[in-house]
Amino acid sequence: MSYAVLRIPDFALQALRRSEPALAGRPVALIAGEGRKAVLTEVSPEAGKVAPGFTVTLAMARCPGIVLRVREPDAEVEAQRLLLAAAFTLAPGVEATAAGCCTVDLQGAQPERTEAAVRQRLVDLAQAGLPARAGVAATPLLAGYAARAADPILVVRDSAAFLAPLPLAVAEPSAAHAEILRSWGLKTLGDLTALTKADVGQRLGAEGVALWERAAGETTRVLRLVEPPRSFVAEWAYEPPVESMEPLLFKLRRFAERIAFELRAAHFVAETLTLTLLLEDETDHRRKFRLPEPGADVESWLRVMQAHLDPLRTAARVAGVRLSAAPARPPAKQDGIFDTGLTDPQAFWENLARLGAVVGDERVGTPVRCDSHRPDAFVLERPSETVPAPGAAPLHPPRGPVLRRFRPARPVQILLEGERPVAVTGPVTGRLSAAAGPWRVSGEWWMPGSWAVETWQVELAAGGLYQLARTAEGWWLEGTLD
Amino acid sequence: MAQPPTLSALRSLVAARFPTASRKQLGCVPTGIAGLDEALGGGLPAGRLTELVSEAASSGGQLVLTRLLVATRAARQRVALVDGADGFAPEAVPADALRHLVWVRAHNLDEALAAADVLVRDGNYAAVVIDLRGIAERVLRRTPSPAWHRMHRAAENQPAAVLVQTPFALVPAVPWRLTLRATQGLAQRRRSQAELAAELRVETVRGHVATEEKAG
Repeated sequence: MSYAVLRIPDFALQALRRSEPALAGRPVALIAGEGRKAVLTEVSPEAGKVAPGFTVTLAMARCPGIVLRVREPDAEVEAQRLLLAAAFTLAPGVEATAAGCCTVDLQGAQPERTEAAVRQRLVDLAQAGLPARAGVAATPLLAGYAARAADPILVVRDSAAFLAPLPLAVAEPSAAHAEILRSWGLKTLGDLTALTKADVGQRLGAEGVALWERAAGETTRVLRLVEPPRSFVAEWAYEPPVESMEPLLFKLRRFAERIAFELRAAHFVAETLTLTLLLEDETDHRRKFRLPEPGADVESWLRVMQAHLDPLRTAARVAGVRLSAAPARPPAKQDGIFDTGLTDPQAFWENLARLGAVVGDERVGTPVRCDSHRPDAFVLERPSETVPAPGAAPLHPPRGPVLRRFRPARPVQILLEGERPVAVTGPVTGRLSAAAGPWRVSGEWWMPGSWAVETWQVELAAGGLYQLARTAEGWWLEGTLD
Repeated sequence: MAQPPTLSALRSLVAARFPTASRKQLGCVPTGIAGLDEALGGGLPAGRLTELVSEAASSGGQLVLTRLLVATRAARQRVALVDGADGFAPEAVPADALRHLVWVRAHNLDEALAAADVLVRDGNYAAVVIDLRGIAERVLRRTPSPAWHRMHRAAENQPAAVLVQTPFALVPAVPWRLTLRATQGLAQRRRSQAELAAELRVETVRGHVATEEKAG
């Protein structure tokens, strides 16, 4: 058990079906050639009695509802990347053997764990819309044979017993040799390997020896390894452009599945996601989602993006979509034993990301006052996972009614008697029955962005407490005191 | 002539007929304001909406929020604030009373309701405050009733107490509606917030403390 082969039967057809939700559950066939010469190359099981090689006319006569399509190269590229990403989660040595087929070098891995991991990967791929088969064996060749015979996985422990009943065609003899072997009465690989390699070599030459070795599973080769992806990006162009959410979300789910696989294979998680909608009028809508809890969970990514897309209205139809993930190492943390933690951490971080998608990432968090006397100086930080024990009571606790701000502050006109305000005109208007102040603060006078403000607290004769601010630009209504 | 059934008799009848439909009492979150906690039977009821109407300017709505932050901080509970008009001023609250707060600064009512819908279902918060003061009255009055019905349903059986602060009676079918009536004066600016909170005049417009809730 040193190699695994992951194989997608009818790869081009499966890739197409994975990219188009409307094809799910319907009889579909791929055609090649034009006009009357067009024939079916791959057929879905729903098509019943229709088989590859049929002409279009015959296929439609046998199955009137059959959907006939040509190959979709972009969908095949996306499906191949998903397959490779799944393979990289098993081991770093992966060969892109063919379209819809890859070989994984499992040398040194524990057999029990590997078999369980391969089974799980097949389940993951099926959930991602790409049903795969897997063969696990001592050589790449045997693993490939096993993948063809698997349903959905076949582990070869006794290679001779496995090979013996397989038909000769599995070893891919040339047409001439196939004819000769048939004339000898040989039908299976076991029949061929019952002869000695030397005898076969004497009669069929070097090509015959190679065939015998393939039939005996003796052939081995060095894998041509591919590099794992260095960027985590997926892109699709819609033809024609779309104007509803369903196709967009469907494609985003497919992208997310593949990117999550790629991140997991590289032992990364996503820190941010960037979604770009390419619009028909050649503009684009871009949104970056900061994930409060970096992860590789497809469902939570989709919930975050959907929360942003639901209320979104674009000026033009969506001609393309691109999703990219910024990788980061998974966070390592250990909480204090007496800290008050979260009841459901996953929901907490996921919901924070959804809130960020609704109001903007920069507008959600725990407020922390800045070390400055500048009014309204604060930053929003990532909420802590635990609520720490309360600190000591402040030496000078706040007094009086509490400020509630208008953002931005609203300009007002103030009537002064001497230096004291006595009436206000603006969003609130009236004479003042009392005024307290001024409190003058300034800062950063040594820098270009210096500031200075004079603050007053006032009471309207008609009722209501307000905070006024006087700057070089004039008077402002900063908020109510409530 | 038969006497019409009293409300309590009807409640008993419904509870007997539909025993599983009676709501689970999930406890309450004390606000730290004696008048308010007394009116509510111990504090903001968990799993339900409570509407606090600030009809007049400077009637103490922000003071209620501040005291709630202080009280929940002392109890090491997590609080979320959905700020519909982005009016919360962090500098007006002790720095330590902000460490358990998640502040969502919405741009408009739609964002505020969408954010509240997420937070109410979260399960990690002891209290969710939805502050809709400062949003234009004509906008608030356009809020569709199903949005509130959805909020009621979302809050049920969740651990969070949901406090909705409004400038006028807005939330339909709310279990508790309280109104702050008295306006504060500038003469009170030197008094401690605990003293001011103790003197807040809270009027219960809707809701009652049931016998079993009082006992609990």
